[in-house]
Amino acid sequence: MDWFPLWNSLRIAGISTLLSFFSGILLAYYVAKTPRIVKGVLDCLFTLPMVLPPTVVGFFLLRTIGAKGPIGAPLLRWFDLRLTMVWFSAIFATAIVTFPLMYRTARGAFEAFDENLAFAGQTLGLSNRYVFWRIRIPCCRQGILAGTVLAFARALGEYGATSMVAGYIPGRTATIATSVYQLWREGNDALAYRWVLINLAISFVVLVAVNLLEKRYRENKPARARAAKEPVC
Amino acid sequence: MKKAFALLLALLMTAALLTACAEPAATVADLPEPALLVTDEVPEPEPEAEPVELIVFAAASMTEAMNEIAALYKDVAPDVTIVYNFDSSGTLKTQIEEGAECDLFISAGQKQMNQLDISADAAVNTDGLDFVLAGSRFDLVRNKVVMIVPEGTDLGITAFADVLGEGVRLIALGNSDVPAGQYAEEVYTSLGLWEELVASGKVSYGSNVKEVLEQVASAAVDCGVVYSTDAATASGVTVAAEAPEGSHGPIVYPAAVLNISKNQAAAEAFAEFLRSDACAAVFESIGFSIPERQNR
Repeated sequence: MDWFPLWNSLRIAGISTLLSFFSGILLAYYVAKTPRIVKGVLDCLFTLPMVLPPTVVGFFLLRTIGAKGPIGAPLLRWFDLRLTMVWFSAIFATAIVTFPLMYRTARGAFEAFDENLAFAGQTLGLSNRYVFWRIRIPCCRQGILAGTVLAFARALGEYGATSMVAGYIPGRTATIATSVYQLWREGNDALAYRWVLINLAISFVVLVAVNLLEKRYRENKPARARAAKEPVC
Repeated sequence: MKKAFALLLALLMTAALLTACAEPAATVADLPEPALLVTDEVPEPEPEAEPVELIVFAAASMTEAMNEIAALYKDVAPDVTIVYNFDSSGTLKTQIEEGAECDLFISAGQKQMNQLDISADAAVNTDGLDFVLAGSRFDLVRNKVVMIVPEGTDLGITAFADVLGEGVRLIALGNSDVPAGQYAEEVYTSLGLWEELVASGKVSYGSNVKEVLEQVASAAVDCGVVYSTDAATASGVTVAAEAPEGSHGPIVYPAAVLNISKNQAAAEAFAEFLRSDACAAVFESIGFSIPERQNR
């Protein structure tokens, strides 16, 4: 059995989750500090990919990074670098689609953060970076973790934009989602079922792991926080 | 304020509902009955005499031709509206099998039609499906497959075999459920290159021939195999090579009225129209060829 789709799906989901994680958190932090109108506009812009149908996202991507697009054409001409129909094309699609999930949950977590803790840290002379990574983030851990899981799950299940931008090249750009579609189209139900079960298994494992993490965190919160010199929030 | 808004909304919705229900009465009143040319075949006898809507499932490669023909048919039978569903023949066959409403089916390959025809070989019609109206099946047009490249590129592709060369990174083909993909496979098998091509990892599979066409036109791939009719009607592609003689079976598009059709007479009338000279002219202008007239 060709296991490539599994490896490809996991690496695409992993990389795009990583990208969304950092960009989502940082942007959520900065947007939370902007004035109201700017915040509203930026919010709309950053949440847009979540609301758009994946095929619309795929269409925009194709017209932009495709071989004849404003970004794709120069890269192809000068560096012989193709952005579509290669294994990392799907990362563009999934990163764009998962970013809003990370962004929104992180924003929600940051908005719920008690600013007094940050102020207290500042009165103690702690740097902004310390306040961010050692006070703010640990307190918003739940929201950020939830956002990460959602982003990973969404990236794993992304089909529409991926199929448009990366196509289906067995051994190169096939993901679990596109493979199941192709196998169904070819009438190979047995193999399609196998991939469906594999996908279910992965999703199940991820969710169970996250649940366990959450449970452990909640149970030992005060003691662990004190031991790690983090705020109890 | 809130109450007034809610009341306004309710009034608007009721108004919308009433206008929607009022329409059929308006259209029935101005149907010009005696002026129709196909009077004996359109199901007029029904007391409400609503305009007929024919649902035609046709292979994606027929898009341009069928749209032109629908415009022509509007003059012949003004009360018949044709609704199209264009997609790969394999997808359409599956949709019919899963219960989609359809009056007429035009496939790009005999295989998909055979899979719905109870009178076809049981080896092909493995599920014993019976959707084709007996006696209504006929061969509509013929086509050819060609190799196309994005316009303006020059990778030196002059024959189907050139795909395996160094300069070609990706070739787009229809998947095995798409007739265009099946014909491409036949061509490469007859050249003895199919296994090698599949193993090379250069093939990108599309779910219908228009997707393959789009990928070539947008230069996402280096070349692709589509029908000559697609190459002729699309912009942004040039034909690089034609399929060698005898490398694939004749590409014949069968058409048939389905026995699940709710407008059988209208569907048969349309099928009859498809075999007329007016339609033959449209097909030939796009690049199809007309098979010899068979016993009708």
